[in-house]
Amino acid sequence: MPLYGPLSFSFAPQVLASKTLSRWVKPFASWYAEQSGYRKYGLKYDDLLVEERDDVQRALGRLTPAEGYERAFRLKRASQASVLHAPLPKEQWTKISEDTRYLAPHVRDVEKEDSERAMWDTISVKRK
Amino acid sequence: MLAARASTRNVQRIARSFATVVDSAGVKVAAVDSNRPTTSVTFLVKAGSRFETKAGVAHGLKNFAFKSTAKRSALGTVRETELYGGLLSANLSREHLALTAEFLRGDEQYFVDVLSSFLTSAKFTRHEFEEYVTPVMQGEIELSNADPALHALELAHALAFRNGLGSSIYATPHSHLTAEDIKAFAKSAFTKDNIAVVGTGIDQDSLARLVEQSLSKISTSSAFSSSPSSYFGGETRIQGHGGPQTVFIGFGSAGAPAPELAAISAHLSTTPSVKWSKSLSPIATALPEGTSVQTVYLPYSDASLFGLLVQGPTSASVKEAGKAAVTALKSASSLKGDDLKKAVAKAKFASASATESREGLVSLLGSKVLTGSASTLEATLSSLDGVSESSVSKAASALVGAKPTFVAVGDISSLPHADELGL
Repeated sequence: MPLYGPLSFSFAPQVLASKTLSRWVKPFASWYAEQSGYRKYGLKYDDLLVEERDDVQRALGRLTPAEGYERAFRLKRASQASVLHAPLPKEQWTKISEDTRYLAPHVRDVEKEDSERAMWDTISVKRK
Repeated sequence: MLAARASTRNVQRIARSFATVVDSAGVKVAAVDSNRPTTSVTFLVKAGSRFETKAGVAHGLKNFAFKSTAKRSALGTVRETELYGGLLSANLSREHLALTAEFLRGDEQYFVDVLSSFLTSAKFTRHEFEEYVTPVMQGEIELSNADPALHALELAHALAFRNGLGSSIYATPHSHLTAEDIKAFAKSAFTKDNIAVVGTGIDQDSLARLVEQSLSKISTSSAFSSSPSSYFGGETRIQGHGGPQTVFIGFGSAGAPAPELAAISAHLSTTPSVKWSKSLSPIATALPEGTSVQTVYLPYSDASLFGLLVQGPTSASVKEAGKAAVTALKSASSLKGDDLKKAVAKAKFASASATESREGLVSLLGSKVLTGSASTLEATLSSLDGVSESSVSKAASALVGAKPTFVAVGDISSLPHADELGL
């Protein structure tokens, strides 16, 4: 697990579990996500995950063909917009409801498998 | 004379019932404890290829065995089994899917749990299907197509029975199978009426108790219905490379398998009783050098396929061997006297010695256990005792009277046609 970035430690589950905390933190979080600007280029948050990693590559292989196609389309459209030095027209911006974590659950699964493998590789067995 | 003595001794020796069947929470359980150092438990499920709803789904289900379940991941199953020192295997036939665990005595709790958790809580994830199941399926399909004998038998089943028993054990190379299809098939297959548990080297009560604990939540009603098989027959020729020239000459019959066919198969079998010698089979004397004729007798619950698999290096030699095989098969209806006694004794020994091995015992017991009847070797042997000259002659002429199933795999421009062999 990296020290920072989308795949690092996150307090989001704890914040979401608490009503008071999420009421205070959520507006700031939404503002921050909007300001980071990836939605203006039609991307989803999970498109920003560092993909030059073995576990993310394996997770990418687990997307459905439709999800994989849409991801490739978003990345191409965003890089074209970047070449043109301008965000996409407003109707093509990613809506908040569309900004789903389509890849992160797969990455977590792969991480869980890797850590299970490490566990089995280093386990010391005691037979009862 | 010798044959008669041998056969009576056989019956006297093995005068015991293998196992009684108990009902444990709706699942039939049978166990034999023959004091061996290891135990095996087989979950036999009526989920063979004859029941499949989409081509290849049974093959997919077989390869999904021991992948991740709600209790442990695929890796966890492998590693934990290694630590216990056991073996897990899945085996698919046309009628049954057999999930088997072999292990040291005392580890039954873990292994029954592994087997039953596949039946109750397998996940059938899409990524496992793509990463682990599909490559193995592709490999098995390629292997089956590369072996001309296996390929010929698959084609022969399709010709002989068309649907049901005719559907191949292997998926087609380009089938559009998904994990969802397999999940749906598993859901309809894994019901209490469809499962039988057969144990060897384990005490019946403890096995029944473990099964009751682990399979209590499984649903009772079975959604499966299979239409009774009927025999059709036909001819097909497939171009093949790299293997011996192969011809399969088969005859099938619907209805419960008759012991007469086992006797005829033993009579024609060219496998000698003494290694490196020549068999006394009527086929063996007429075979050209380098060719082989194997008898294939495949009894199923409501049909049977009997045939001769002829293989040789050239088409000409296969043609000669095939002619000899057909002549011998046609003259099998006049089997009498010492020849018949010899054939019956051979068939008896084959069925008795099959129960010595674990797989043979499980396959003999399993199909009987699924129907709920207690099974003895005695019953099989005494049915062979009932084989007489007239019944053999009747069975043989009925068999040969039907339309033959003829399959040629190899150089189809020169391999013989059915009518050239005298069929």
